Amino acid sequence: MANKSLKKVQLKSLLDKIAGSGQLIAPIQSDGITLFKPVQSGEGVVLDYQNAVIPPKDFFFPQSEKMFSYDTSDPTWAIKPEEGVPERVLFGARPCDVKSILLLDKVFDAEFRDDIYIDKRNKTTIIAVSCNDCRHTCFCGAFGISPGEAEGADLLFTDLGGRYLVEVLTDKGSTLAAECSDLLSDDDGNGPAAKEKAVAPAKEKQMNIDLEGVKAKLDNMFEHPIWAEESLRCLGCGTCTFICPTCHCFDIVDFNNQSSIGYRYRCADSCQFANFTRAAGGHQPRPSKMERIRQRFMHKLRYFVDRYGDFGCVGCGRCLEKCPVNLDIAQIINKVKEVG
Amino acid sequence: MCSTREVAHPLLPYPATVTKIIDETPDVKTFQVVFDDPAILENFGNKPGQCAMLSILGVGEAMISITSSPTRKGMLEFSIKKIGRLTSVIHELDVGDKLAIRGPYGNHFPFDMMKGKNCLFIAGGIGLAPLRSLIDYVLDNRDDYGRVDIIYGARSYADLCFKYDIFDRWPKVKDTNVYVTIDREEEGWDGHVGFVPSYLEELNPPSEDTIPVTCGPPIMIKFVLQGLDKMGYKDEDIITTLEMNMRCGIGKCGRCNIGEKYICVDGPVFNLAQIKQLPPEF
Repeated sequence: MANKSLKKVQLKSLLDKIAGSGQLIAPIQSDGITLFKPVQSGEGVVLDYQNAVIPPKDFFFPQSEKMFSYDTSDPTWAIKPEEGVPERVLFGARPCDVKSILLLDKVFDAEFRDDIYIDKRNKTTIIAVSCNDCRHTCFCGAFGISPGEAEGADLLFTDLGGRYLVEVLTDKGSTLAAECSDLLSDDDGNGPAAKEKAVAPAKEKQMNIDLEGVKAKLDNMFEHPIWAEESLRCLGCGTCTFICPTCHCFDIVDFNNQSSIGYRYRCADSCQFANFTRAAGGHQPRPSKMERIRQRFMHKLRYFVDRYGDFGCVGCGRCLEKCPVNLDIAQIINKVKEVG
Repeated sequence: MCSTREVAHPLLPYPATVTKIIDETPDVKTFQVVFDDPAILENFGNKPGQCAMLSILGVGEAMISITSSPTRKGMLEFSIKKIGRLTSVIHELDVGDKLAIRGPYGNHFPFDMMKGKNCLFIAGGIGLAPLRSLIDYVLDNRDDYGRVDIIYGARSYADLCFKYDIFDRWPKVKDTNVYVTIDREEEGWDGHVGFVPSYLEELNPPSEDTIPVTCGPPIMIKFVLQGLDKMGYKDEDIITTLEMNMRCGIGKCGRCNIGEKYICVDGPVFNLAQIKQLPPEF
């Protein structure tokens, strides 16, 4: 479908319309924090943010989710899977976060297909929004991501001042655009060039991190002293993993509140915790923070590449911003390049 | 995973019932189980060396190797050492009680590649449990394989698992030798005394056309591998298993990786050449 255009003043009407016909998830601000939440209308949806504190990953792989219920007093145990999600639209995902969902697909839509995740993916139409500006922690360019491209999204909006350029990227996007056709007009042909100008600041101002040779170097750095040095200041809090858009590790927990009826959940877990790899009987392959931070950086920059053919990081900068001791993956990349 | 459910979520377990319990040692019991829906077992398709996730709802879930060979139809067997919270609860089960099971997971022993070859099985303690699925598979297809030597050891006589197999059933099969050892002298024991790796070197079974497969505690495996190396085996032919803490069993929860390999889907069976490629973090 050809490029479309949406007048900025019409955005609220568009979001109202989407929210009226299904679930809408969009960035809102509460107490000064930008978060993706289900909303009833376009009211309060924010657009002048660089990135939400928590990535929209949570709507595909929630921090905690019920998998099934059971009743041990029932002779069959009555194991019953949870119902899926309604059809919904995720509005406002930034290009880095969209890419992170493609990376999660590699994990969850693989050999053993994860139906709970795939149900959410299939029922979600993603409207990405290009970045006109960036935070001081952004470095998506290192991973070949552009602030003005969003492969994996269904529609891409770019703020051109008085209007949005609306690029239709998939059939799903085309369907949604058709449903909103009364609010959209055809782009006058100037959209793509105007987009390049609009996203230029986000490209130019972001950190310039070059990954050339980093993977090859890490292939031989398992025993390197850098991990022990860097781990000295790590607090083991796990914040980096909980706010990461590509981290997918989880625990499985039963909850029954002393009753025969219970639920099995899965919830986000962190490779930064000792219990993550400690087995019954005492086997502990990652006994100290050295092994655990090595696992985190190796997983993102080496193991994920070997397993899935892409880096497990999108340069969103959340972990740089939130780490209480500035243990910074961008710095690690630079240090890996420097050390012998 | 095969399923009769419409939505075959890979993390949903299937209820099963304990049909027999064998006390193997003071802390190991073997549980024979059948699925409540017989179609699940028919379509289970487990191969020797594969594992399954066993759970008690409300307590937890753990990856346990399937001890029975797929040639033994109509049930699955799991030999379980009482070592943590879940296994302690499992040890309290009686015949007729329920377990939930999902699987089978992981790769399997190379039983096809081993056809026509001699087999050398080396196990210590509960390490015989995963190997037993392969041993029974080989012995149930006896004519497809050459000589079978089984070297098995435990701390004491009481700690030997599957006494009915190692002393009675297996030695009666043609061309099959079982060598049993215990770590320390003990009243009433007139068999071999010593650790498994030194017994292996002492026996020095012929290595020609032989595939060695070893399972056991890490320290035993370490010295067995050194012994096999001295005997001239190629790394590609030496088969062993690795173990890590697991949750999902399907390569997603992220905790059982060694380098880029997930032990739950790429393992637990590896040859020594593959293990030497992994970062030393196990």
